[in-house]
Amino acid sequence: MTEPLRPIAALDETENARENVGRRRFLRIASAISAAIGGILIGFPVTRAFLTPAFKQRQVRGWTKVAQADLVDINTPVKVDFVEPINDAWIQTRALRTVWLRTEDGEKFTAFSGTCTHLGCSVMFDKARNQFVCPCHQGVFDPKTGAVLDGPPPRGLDPLPVRVVDGAVQVTLKQFRTGVAERIEI
Amino acid sequence: MSALSRWFNERLALASVWRALLDREVPDRLTWWHTLGSATFTVFMVQVVTGIVLATFYSATPDHAYDSLQYLQREVASGSLLRAIHHWGSSFMVVLVAAHMIRVFSMGAYKYPREANWVLGAFMFVLVMAFGFTGYLLPWDQRAYWATQVGTNMAGTAPLVGGPLTALLRGGTQLGAATLTRFYAFHVLWLPLLLGLFILIHLAMVIRQGIAPRTDALERDAPARTNDPQYAAYYRDAYKATKRGGVRFWPDVVGKDLIASCVVIVLIVVLALALGAPLEAPADPTDNSYVPRPEWYFLPIFQMLKVFPGSMESVGALGVPLLLILVLLTLPFFDRGSRRNLRHRPVALVGISVLLGGFALLMGAAIRGTPPSVVAEVGRPLTSAERAGRALFTRQCEGCHVVTGVSDPKRPKNENEGPKLSEIGLLHSSGWLHSFIEDPTRFHGDTAHMGKFGPPVLTHQEIEEVALYLINLQGAPGSHLKVDIHDTFPEPKESVKKGGPSP
Repeated sequence: MTEPLRPIAALDETENARENVGRRRFLRIASAISAAIGGILIGFPVTRAFLTPAFKQRQVRGWTKVAQADLVDINTPVKVDFVEPINDAWIQTRALRTVWLRTEDGEKFTAFSGTCTHLGCSVMFDKARNQFVCPCHQGVFDPKTGAVLDGPPPRGLDPLPVRVVDGAVQVTLKQFRTGVAERIEI
Repeated sequence: MSALSRWFNERLALASVWRALLDREVPDRLTWWHTLGSATFTVFMVQVVTGIVLATFYSATPDHAYDSLQYLQREVASGSLLRAIHHWGSSFMVVLVAAHMIRVFSMGAYKYPREANWVLGAFMFVLVMAFGFTGYLLPWDQRAYWATQVGTNMAGTAPLVGGPLTALLRGGTQLGAATLTRFYAFHVLWLPLLLGLFILIHLAMVIRQGIAPRTDALERDAPARTNDPQYAAYYRDAYKATKRGGVRFWPDVVGKDLIASCVVIVLIVVLALALGAPLEAPADPTDNSYVPRPEWYFLPIFQMLKVFPGSMESVGALGVPLLLILVLLTLPFFDRGSRRNLRHRPVALVGISVLLGGFALLMGAAIRGTPPSVVAEVGRPLTSAERAGRALFTRQCEGCHVVTGVSDPKRPKNENEGPKLSEIGLLHSSGWLHSFIEDPTRFHGDTAHMGKFGPPVLTHQEIEEVALYLINLQGAPGSHLKVDIHDTFPEPKESVKKGGPSP
């Protein structure tokens, strides 16, 4: 411990110098190769598994029947609750979803997501004022276009694709990021 | 030296760290057996890295543990490979730790001045076994559940403290949710923390004391006993002499360590790719036919239970392993002879031969005693409702109906023997079966044989569970018979019609 180390060069000049140099070079290269092989063999599956969620394709959402076309009130938004089965990783659950349907003629429909674009509360329809109102921070939306009339929401209510097939109103449920002006699907 | 390394060196004095850790002189003529310790460390790191990613996709509750593993294997890229690497890594960990201990034992490297490091190593061995025991439960499949049932029951055989000890292991009187979180916390928090800490101390001691040299270097002219007052001075000189060969830790020792570690990793990955990791049907606490098997490295202890008769069971289950651990821990303090080569230590040679021989004998007996195969689940694992149905079937139906591969072949014949139901799932839908079980007389007038099993014998939910179980019975595994259902329902009786809603 106390004795200073002899420099490698000095050692190599003494005993079996050439053998030492050759062995050291071999061991240095072998070390690098071994570390690389071991690192890749373990690192590859580890990294790949860890990054899986980043490259997962979003599940395509289908059409969900939410109402019978001839039963929807004319000119008044109707709240439709329905149960959507959800695959939450390894847990299968069901979620209660809400959309608002509005029609002027019982044939053409508009559908809005029931989620306030501000912070994600559920909007209500105030019949007396004929406006959508969010109870959390008093966001107010137009019943016809969904545009913001008052309050903090950064954008209007999110419209959802809607169609009528054999008298059944079907929507594709989508969810968007809240709190931003842009409509970004999640 | 580049500007960057100069910058760091000025602040952190890396050159001295380099000299202290890597560029130091070590004994010459070290063997390949000396790489076993670092190979064990490499496998530990593999277990840490793969374990972290496994934990990312794991849910430690009885409801979801098994499903989260299924998710990992099906949905996560390389998920099943990762699990297989972790599975095989655990076996390698045990093998390498044992091999490393045998190496240290055979070279007398636990003797002066490395007694403390041996004792620490013995504790680390216990920690590695604890890793194996706790990790085995986490998949929450049949073998996990039942092996842990046996393992925790073994603790219960201890005199006086047995009951509280089992409850402590299980987090309650029963094996269940509390056991799973407890084992999980130990497996991923306590044990890695402790083992990591112990490894640091273990390695620090190796650096401080130097690598144990070849045995002959410390035997020539040595005092007979290591507690001889002269021994310390003798050792210091003899050890210094071994460092004259000019061998450096880097790259001479590290190079060999890395090559050995790489070979071990390749072996683990090849085994993982070729054989995968087992995953049986989900844990079913109602299944009393399952024959539990522990992981292979616990088989000798498992076999020991059979050697010791009933009342002596705790001697085999706990006494022998505890005694062995005690011997390991105290070994450096009663073995103070200065001879290090195993060939010069007859008592030690006999001791380790008896230990390893006994281990091999018990292992061989345990493997021979393994039942050919546990009744295989046909097709996909049963859901909880189907398993409940199977339990009801065993209780209510097996008196008259046989299912090949499930029913006990030696059960006494019943004079009212009903049809075999091994292929019933090919012929009928669950709705038809429900209706039939509820009231067979609806389908035929024959009341002499199968009676009504509708309420109050079984509730509708129970009948449904039995029916769901029965439609899974589609012949022997691999027979690939075609499902051929032509169910006809009897005309509703008048009384039923009257009771029903009028059109």
